[in-house]
Parts: sequence; C-alpha cells; structure tokens
Amino acid sequence: MTQPAVPQPQSQPGVAVAEEGLVILDGPAGIAVTMTPDAAARTGQSLLDASAAAREQTPGSAST
Amino acid sequence: MFIDRFLRGRRGAQLDEAERARLEAAITEVRTFEPRARLVRAGERLTHSTLLIEGFLCRFIDDRRGLRQLVAFHVPGDFVDLHGYPLQTLDHGIATLTAATIASVPHEALAAIERDAPEMARKLWFATLLDAAIHRAWLFRLGRLDAVGRVAHFLCETNARLVLAGLSDGKRFALGLTQNDLAEICGLTNVHVNRVVRALREEHLCLFRASLVEIPDPQRLAARGQFDPAYLYIDERAAQALASSE
Repeated sequence: MTQPAVPQPQSQPGVAVAEEGLVILDGPAGIAVTMTPDAAARTGQSLLDASAAAREQTPGSAST
Repeated sequence: MFIDRFLRGRRGAQLDEAERARLEAAITEVRTFEPRARLVRAGERLTHSTLLIEGFLCRFIDDRRGLRQLVAFHVPGDFVDLHGYPLQTLDHGIATLTAATIASVPHEALAAIERDAPEMARKLWFATLLDAAIHRAWLFRLGRLDAVGRVAHFLCETNARLVLAGLSDGKRFALGLTQNDLAEICGLTNVHVNRVVRALREEHLCLFRASLVEIPDPQRLAARGQFDPAYLYIDERAAQALASSE
C-alpha cells in the first residue's frame, strides 16, 4: 500500500560515522550530509537540546 | 551512422530506416570536445540541438556562488537538448564530463520534421518525455534514498541505458567518471562517496574503479537502490536482453 505522501516524523535515527576527519550522517530517509567535527558536535548538541524540549512539549511524557 | 543509438530499444519509439536516414542527413556538424568543456550556456539563443555520439555529458545549474548542481546525466545516443528546439533557450547549461563527440542538428531541420513527418515528430517528442521521466527518477533518488541507495540507483540506471546503447554487457561497462563526478550526481561529498564505493565493494554489489564499473549481481544492486527500469520505457525485446544479462 502507498504510504502517505506528506513527510512524516522519522522514528528511525540517522547513523553518524567518522571518515577522513569528517563526520558523515546517513539517514534517515534520504538525508546524507558530511560535516566538519565542529559542525557535527554543534548539530549533535542542538539535536539533544531540541529533543529534550520536544519531550517537554509532549503531555504526560517524562524527561529522560 | 551517428544516430544508431538514438531511441534504440525504446517502447514504440524506435526510428525506422527512413527516419534514421533523415535524421542522419540533418546532421550538419560533428565535433569532439575535451572533458569539462561547456557546450551550452543557460539563456543562450540556440539554433541547433545536440546528439551525443560518444562520451558523457551533464546538464547543470549554477547557484549564486557559481557552484554547480548537476541535474541530468547523458549517455551516447541521447538527444541532449532536443527540448531546446521548442524552448529556443535552455534554463541550464550543458557540459562534457568526459571527452565527448557530438552531432549538431539545426532547428530548421527539426521544424521540417515537425511539419511533414508527424510520426517521426512523435518519436522526437517521446525522447523529451523520456528525459522528463529520467528527471523524475533523479528527484526520487536524491529525495528518498540514502547514500548507498543513491549511488546504487544511478549505477543501475546507467547500466540499463548503456545496455540499450550497446555499451554494457549488463554487468560491466566503461564509465569515465571520477568519484567527484559521482558525488555531484548523487548530491554527496567526496568523502561520503568514497565510503559508499567501499561499502558497495565490501558487499560485493559493485566495483567502481578507474573508468570501469562491474556489477556482479545486478538484481541485488537494483534492490539496494530501489531501481525499477519501468521509467526508461524499454521495449520487450530489449527488456529481455537486459534481464538475461542479470
């Protein structure tokens, strides 16, 4: 069956690896980016911060 | 003949002998270009369309900083800017990726075909629609697939197109592209493409080295890249030839 055409939130995480002094993020769903270590670290921190804030926005969910 | 590969193996659109002769006779010039040569600039007024005889070309759009985004890849037999006849100018540039030989067909010859050979004109129209189908697959590849999938999809598509052109046996073909080209085509960095090429090799899906591509198991590579050749509109006979090579 065809899945909804509107992009849905990803429940699968992307996978990051280090390669030749850079960070490669592959997935989810078509994401494929290469970042400097500094950009990757700042992106990672931003993701953690946003993740914590998003959990706070979900009624009844405890922060982890 | 220079136009032998044009629309070869395409469903309901192959040129008959008289049509081939007419198109061949319409060619006014055959030229060879070095790799990385710009053939057409975006916005330039066009009087000819370009048929690719040998080598590989790309279509591209530059961003404000002059950085290039590839938007199409062409193999021998493609009528690269047939759409330049009705449009008169292109919204993108055309350049060689490898050394390439091209034939020029004046727009006035295409106008004559449109005027007095409607069935042949329909086949030329088919060629531009095929381009559009390949563009849709390009969007799907970049928008939906992961890095390995993008490269796998592109190599499967290229293999199928080269089988039709008689330039691949279905498992092995010459592709004078660098990993940098592959990176541009698949919207990846060089480092990422390097990693993908290694992963494909380690999974025995594909060997990409120098100018040669080897695909030990085309079906597995197609599955990895979610590649379905339906959008290439291959006729039954050519499809069987493609399938038997897998």
